[in-house]
Amino acid sequence: MTLLSLQNLQKDFGKMRAVDDVSLDIAGNEFFALLGASGSGKTTLLRMLAGFELPSAGRILLDGRDIAQIPPNKRPVNLMFQSYALFPHMSVAKNIAYGLEMEHLPRAEIRSRVGDILETIQLSALANRKPDQLSGGQRQRVALARALVKRPRLLLLDEPLGALDKKLRGDMQLELKRIQADFGITFIVVTHDQEEALVMADRIAILKDGALLQVGTPHDIYEHPTSRFAADFIGVMNFFPVHSDGTILRADDGTQIAAPIPPGLTGAAIAAIRPERLHLDGYASENALTARVTALAYHGLDLQLHVETPLSPRPVILRLTADQAESRAPRPGDTVTLGWSARDTRVFPA
Amino acid sequence: MRDRRPLYLMTPALGWLTAFMVVPCLLILGLAFFRRGLYGGIEYTLTWENIRLVFDPLYAGIFLKSAWIAGLSALIAVVLGYAAAYAIAAMPRRHQPLLLFFAVLPFWSNYLVRTYAWIVLLNREGLIVHLARLLGFEGELPSMLYTETAVVVGLVYNYLPFVILACYAPLSRLNPEVSEASRDLGAGGWTTFRRVVLPMTVPGIATGFTFVFVLSIGNFVTPALLGGGQFQMIGNLVYAQFLTANDWPFGAALSIFLIAIMMGLLTLQTFASEKASGGRNA
Ligand SMILES: Nc1ncnc2c1ncn2[C@@H]1O[C@H](COP(=O)(O)OP(=O)(O)OP(=O)(O)O)[C@@H](O)[C@H]1O
Ligand SMILES: [Mg+2]
Repeated sequence: MTLLSLQNLQKDFGKMRAVDDVSLDIAGNEFFALLGASGSGKTTLLRMLAGFELPSAGRILLDGRDIAQIPPNKRPVNLMFQSYALFPHMSVAKNIAYGLEMEHLPRAEIRSRVGDILETIQLSALANRKPDQLSGGQRQRVALARALVKRPRLLLLDEPLGALDKKLRGDMQLELKRIQADFGITFIVVTHDQEEALVMADRIAILKDGALLQVGTPHDIYEHPTSRFAADFIGVMNFFPVHSDGTILRADDGTQIAAPIPPGLTGAAIAAIRPERLHLDGYASENALTARVTALAYHGLDLQLHVETPLSPRPVILRLTADQAESRAPRPGDTVTLGWSARDTRVFPA
Repeated sequence: MRDRRPLYLMTPALGWLTAFMVVPCLLILGLAFFRRGLYGGIEYTLTWENIRLVFDPLYAGIFLKSAWIAGLSALIAVVLGYAAAYAIAAMPRRHQPLLLFFAVLPFWSNYLVRTYAWIVLLNREGLIVHLARLLGFEGELPSMLYTETAVVVGLVYNYLPFVILACYAPLSRLNPEVSEASRDLGAGGWTTFRRVVLPMTVPGIATGFTFVFVLSIGNFVTPALLGGGQFQMIGNLVYAQFLTANDWPFGAALSIFLIAIMMGLLTLQTFASEKASGGRNA
């Protein structure tokens, strides 16, 4: 069931096009992530959905109804701001109750709903504190609760975990996902952290210069990027400059590379392969290549190997699991044979 | 070990204040408990008489009248000043410094000149009367000069720039996303103002109000010029005791009460804004 439908949405600030012809359908109950570099138009897009910016063109349909002209206080949509924007002169409980008071609910109901949500975010003990007496993570949870308690049809979250340290982020990513499932509310989360998007979202949209580059599940986006930009933006990717004559792919030094070539792609191109798809002792692989180890980087869970190849001036990155690394760890200076499958290779126009 | 250098930097200012502010105040305080000499001057015998006289209905009445005029002026100035500051803060950022400059401009001209300008305006044959005639107003117009209203108008006009600056500071520092959050949560424009913007800018209002009140209650120039000879505020009374009646001890006693009222208010205001800034922009 489509909840939100964006049709050719566009926003211009003077000559600057912040959002460029975005069309997108989001289903009810979906956890949707908007991913993009700084300045790619993520906040602008959310602000149009919340009602703080008027679209320059295009339509925003919520449940099939065009809401572009409805003021923010009349939309069943809530926004959790990038800056949290808590009311500094109100206690935590007052901050959360504010949105319910605006609905003129009975006092008893407001009290019980605020109490419930404080429990959910585990801040009952701090209900009477002012925002500036809270830590960053606590503030973030109050901002979430304040928007969530209104039970909107659609909750927009602008970099909800932006201000948190890495450990806390990890915890909160799971927490957000759990809350989203429990409340059954559609979430659109803005982030510029690709890992975060992969972990949390049902679907991800990649924005570049205001335009949608690719929309898909985390698996789609990670395994089947449709552009070089998307391949580079998500996760780590090795790139080799290649040349295609339509049927055969050759690297600059003449090495032939086995890979599925997109139909019609001839001339200069780029081949891409993920570090975890490369392996050592690859004599029997479709692609095999002698390389020299230049550096090792220990990452806890895995070991990253930097190797020098004739294919590209940049070192190629290879990922070994802790197991593999322990049984036979290569050392800098060693010569190894890299191998990978044709089907793991992606080819893009240069 | 704490760094003591800031203390040294304060010394000249503290010395200056001690010599020219604290010492005279102490002298005035002492003066209030002596008797007035027969032909002016001071007779060094202790007495409570001057203090008692301050509470005489005649003088207490002038105190109350002054407080009323100062309070009314401060209230009007705050309403007008807050509205102006709000409008300036809502303008595009790059225009704001110029607008503030214009709002404060009159402040840089001489106080007396500015006050005389109002005499020209309020005069029986002044601009305002002419304007009213021009608009077709017939008959006798009530005199505007030398009334309580004229004094209030003068005071408000003179101290308005203060209030605009005091209110502009917290308004311009407001994170616009906080107001937007209020809208997002379902509040209309007026509710957002009343429940979010106004409470967050109370320190500016308190500062503006206190400034106008304190400066007005002790003012003697505006009441003298715009209020006419008969109209007395506490400042005029003190002025008269020292310079015409030659009753320094009673003038001192009046001054002490005036200073006490001002200090009390300023302390209260400092306290209030301290408390309100427990809510800095989060
Ligand atoms: N009110 C505005 N007036 C003019 N330009 C604007 C305005 N708001 C945003 N922009 C421009 O639109 C573009 C997109 O901005 P936006 O804030 O949507 O980016 P973002 O993806 O949220 O970035 P970040 O990750 O840094 O928050 C930027 O180039 C920005 O400078
Ligand atoms: Mg942003």
